[in-house]
Amino acid sequence: MIRDRLYHDLTNRGITGWIVAALLVWFYIALYFTENLTPWAQKVGLSSKWDLYGVLYTVVILVGGIAMIRKYGHNRYQVVRTAVVMFVQVVFAFSIPMMLKALHQPEYYLSYFWPLKFDYMNPEYLFRQPWPFVVYTLAASLVIVPLLAALFGKRWYCSWVCGCGGLANTMGEPWRHLSDKSSAAWKFEKVSIYSVLCISLALTGLLFYSWFTKSKAPEVVQFQTWYGLIVGSILSGAVGTGLYPLGGTRVWCRFFCPMAALLGITQRAGKRFHIRVKEDMCISCGLCSKYCEMGIDVRAYAQRNESFTRASCVGCGICSEVCPRGVLRLENQSGLVQISGGR
Amino acid sequence: MHLVIVGNGVAGITAAMAVRAKDPQAEITIISGESEYFFSRTALMYAYMDIMQRRDLEPYERKVFREQRLTLRKDWVVDLDAGARQLRTQGGATLSYDKLLLATGSRGRRAPWERDLEGVVRFVSLQDLDACERLTPGTRRAVVAGGGLIGVELVECLVHHRVPVTFLVREPSYWPAALSPEEGEMVAAHIRAQGVDLRLGTEVASMEGEGKVAGITTTAGEAIACQMVGVTIGVEPNVEWLRSVKTPPDLNRGVLTDQAFRTSLPDVFAAGDVAEVTGRIEPLWYAAKRQGEAAALSMMGERVEYAPPAYYNSAKFFHLEWTCAGETKGPGRFRKLPGREASVRVIERDGMAVGFSMLGTRWNHRVLVKWVEQRLRVDDVMKRLSEAQYDVEFGRVAL
Ligand SMILES: Cc1cc2nc3c(=O)[nH]c(=O)nc-3n(C[C@H](O)[C@H](O)[C@H](O)COP(=O)(O)OP(=O)(O)OC[C@H]3O[C@@H](n4cnc5c(N)ncnc54)[C@H](O)[C@@H]3O)c2cc1C
Ligand code: SF4
Ligand code: SF4
Ligand code: SF4
Repeated sequence: MIRDRLYHDLTNRGITGWIVAALLVWFYIALYFTENLTPWAQKVGLSSKWDLYGVLYTVVILVGGIAMIRKYGHNRYQVVRTAVVMFVQVVFAFSIPMMLKALHQPEYYLSYFWPLKFDYMNPEYLFRQPWPFVVYTLAASLVIVPLLAALFGKRWYCSWVCGCGGLANTMGEPWRHLSDKSSAAWKFEKVSIYSVLCISLALTGLLFYSWFTKSKAPEVVQFQTWYGLIVGSILSGAVGTGLYPLGGTRVWCRFFCPMAALLGITQRAGKRFHIRVKEDMCISCGLCSKYCEMGIDVRAYAQRNESFTRASCVGCGICSEVCPRGVLRLENQSGLVQISGGR
Repeated sequence: MHLVIVGNGVAGITAAMAVRAKDPQAEITIISGESEYFFSRTALMYAYMDIMQRRDLEPYERKVFREQRLTLRKDWVVDLDAGARQLRTQGGATLSYDKLLLATGSRGRRAPWERDLEGVVRFVSLQDLDACERLTPGTRRAVVAGGGLIGVELVECLVHHRVPVTFLVREPSYWPAALSPEEGEMVAAHIRAQGVDLRLGTEVASMEGEGKVAGITTTAGEAIACQMVGVTIGVEPNVEWLRSVKTPPDLNRGVLTDQAFRTSLPDVFAAGDVAEVTGRIEPLWYAAKRQGEAAALSMMGERVEYAPPAYYNSAKFFHLEWTCAGETKGPGRFRKLPGREASVRVIERDGMAVGFSMLGTRWNHRVLVKWVEQRLRVDDVMKRLSEAQYDVEFGRVAL
C-alpha cells in the first residue's frame, strides 16, 4: 500500500514528483553550466562529464526499456519499437561515438540529424568534416528523414530512433500522462513549435550566408550562442527532461523541437500515417487522451468516428494499447480505405 | 423554443449538441442531479483504479458548454406537469419547457437479499464511486455479487487496490448471456489467474451485520466475512421517480416511446438507457449516443424512424478483450487459437454466419457486422476471417 501510494505521488505531481523534478533540473544545470560532474566522471574512469552523461543516458534507456517491454510484452508494436530504440541508443548514440573518440577521431552521432542536431548543418563545421559524413548528413537531414516521415509518419524517427524520444518512452513512461490535454495547450504548441522552427531555419540561413560571403557579423555569432543556450541547453535539457515529473515526458518534443515541427509537417503532407478510428465503438472513456504523451485529445476524434493525423503525434502507439475497446489502430496507407460496411 | 433535457449522460448531451448544431437560436437547458458536467460512466473503473482523475472523465472541455450556450443545472427533477409544461426540482425551482427530453439513464438493480448497511455498494454513479473509494482502505475482503460486465469491472478495481475479492456468479458458467461454455471457461480461468476467488453457480443467500456489513452467507451455506459487498446484478431504466409525478408518461420497464422517441405525453421525448423504444431497451453507450442524436432530429420536427442496427459490443475482462457482432448464442464453430489466450467463434444457422464472438484479440466489428448483414456462408467467412482482424502492427495473430 505504501509502495502504491509513493508511486502515485511520484507520478501525479506529488511531493516526490516535485523533488525528482528539482533533482533532474539541478543535474542538467550542473551538467551544462558547471564542471561539478567532471570529478565524478573521472572517478569512474571516464574522461569527461559528457561521457558520464552518455553512460547514464544509455543505462537509463536500457533499464526503462526493459520495464517497458515487460509492461507491454503482449503488444508486438511496443516490443519491437522499444527494442529498436534501445539498440539505436547503444550502438549509434553510445558505442560508435565512444569508439571514434577512443581512436582519436571526431565523435559522430549518426542517429541525430539537423535541425535537432543543429551544428550538423552549420557550414563552418560541416564542410570541415570528411566527405562521407558530409554526404551522410546532407542526404539524411534533407532527404531521407523527411521522406521516411512522409511514408511512415514522424514516428519512425521520434519513437523509434531519436534518443530524446527514446528516453521519454523508456525512463519517462511513468509520467507520460502528465501532458496537458487542453485546447489552450494545443494553441500554445502551434505558436511555440513553429516559432522555434522559424528561428532555427533563420539561423541556419544566416550561417550559410556568412559562410558564402566569408564574413560573419557579430550579431550572427551572438544569435548562435543564444540559440545554443536557450534551445540546446535550457529547453531540450533542463526543461525537456527535467520537467518529466511535472509536465510529462514530451515537453521539449511537443513545444520546442524544430525537428518535430518539420517532421510533423511532412507527416501530414504525406497523408499516409494515420490513426484509424473504428466506427461507433468508442465509449469516450478517455484513457487514450490521458495516456497520450503529446497531449492530443485522442478521445475527441474517436468519439466523432474521425480517423486522424495530428502533426504532433509521434506514433508511440500507447493510445491504441490502452484503449479498452480496441478502437484505435496506427496505420500507414494512402487514403483512408474504408473497409467498413458503412452506417 | 426552450428545450429542457433531464439527465446529462451521453444521450442527453449528444441530443443537446445535435439540436444546437441545427438550431443556433434554441434555448437549451440540461438539468441533472449526479454531476454538473457530463462525464463518462464507462470510465468509472479507471477513476476507481486511480489511473484517471475525476476531471479526466469529462469527454468535453468545460468551455464547450459555454461556447455552445448549453445551460447546465445540477439539481434533481422531482415533478413533471405535462399540462402546464413544467418541471419542479428538488431545489425548489420551477422550469417551463416547450420540448422535454427524458434521458435519465439506468440505475443499479436491488437484490432481494440486500439490506441497507454501510459497505453495500453499487457501481453505476459518481456517488457509488465515492462510496467505493471511502470503503476501500478499511476493507480486508470484498464480495462482488453478479457476473455481468459491471461486476467484473468492480472486481478488477478491487484487485488493483490489492483487496481480496470473492466473486459470486449465479450461473454455472461465466456470463452465458453472451459467452459459450468454452469461452466462459477461458474467462473464468483468466479471472482466477488474477487472484480472484471466483465462485460459479453461487449466490448470496443472506447478509449479516448491524449498521455495517459483517459478512454474507452463500447459497452453498458458506459464511464469508467481508467489509464491502458490491451488488452488480444488472441495471434497470431509471423510471422510479416518474411514477409519482403529476403526469407520468406511460411506463413499462422503461419510458415507452415510439420509433421517433415520443412518449405518451405531448412534446415529451425519451432516449438512452431509460427509453423503451418500441418495446426494446438498449443499455449501451453507443446506443444511447445514437438515440440522443436521433431524438434531437425528432424533437426538431424531422421524421425519424429509429431501428437499431445489428447488435455488436465489446468488453474487457481484466486483460482479455472481447468483441461480438450479430448473435452470440446458438450452435457455431469455436476455435481456440494456438499458443494464446484467444479464441474465435462463429455462430451458424442454416450454413450462414449469423454472429461472431471473438476473445483475446482485436477485431473490426464493422466488417463482422457487414458479414452478418450479407448473410455469408460460414465456410466462406472462415476463410476470410483475417480481413476483420484489427491487431496492432507486427501483432497480427495467426488464426
Ligand atoms: C460501470 C459501467 C460501465 C459501463 N461500461 C459500458 C461499456 O463498456 N460499453 C457500453 O456500451 N456501455 C457501458 N455502460 C453503460 C453506459 O454507461 C450507459 O448505456 C450510458 O451511460 C447511458 O447513457 P444515458 O445518457 O442514457 O444515461 P446516464 O449516463 O445514466 O445519464 C443519466 C443522468 O441523469 C441523471 N438523472 C436521473 N434521474 C434524474 C432526475 N430525476 N433529475 C435529474 N437528473 C437525473 C442521472 O443521475 C445521470 O447522471 C456502462 C455502465 C456502467 C455503470
Ligand atoms: S520531437 Fe525532436 S527530440 Fe523529440 S523525438 Fe522527435 S526529433 Fe527527437
Ligand atoms: S496520438 Fe497516440 S500514437 Fe500519437 S502520440 Fe498520442 S498516444 Fe502516441
Ligand atoms: S480509449 Fe478507446 S474507448 Fe476510450 S475514449 Fe479512447 S478511443 Fe474511446
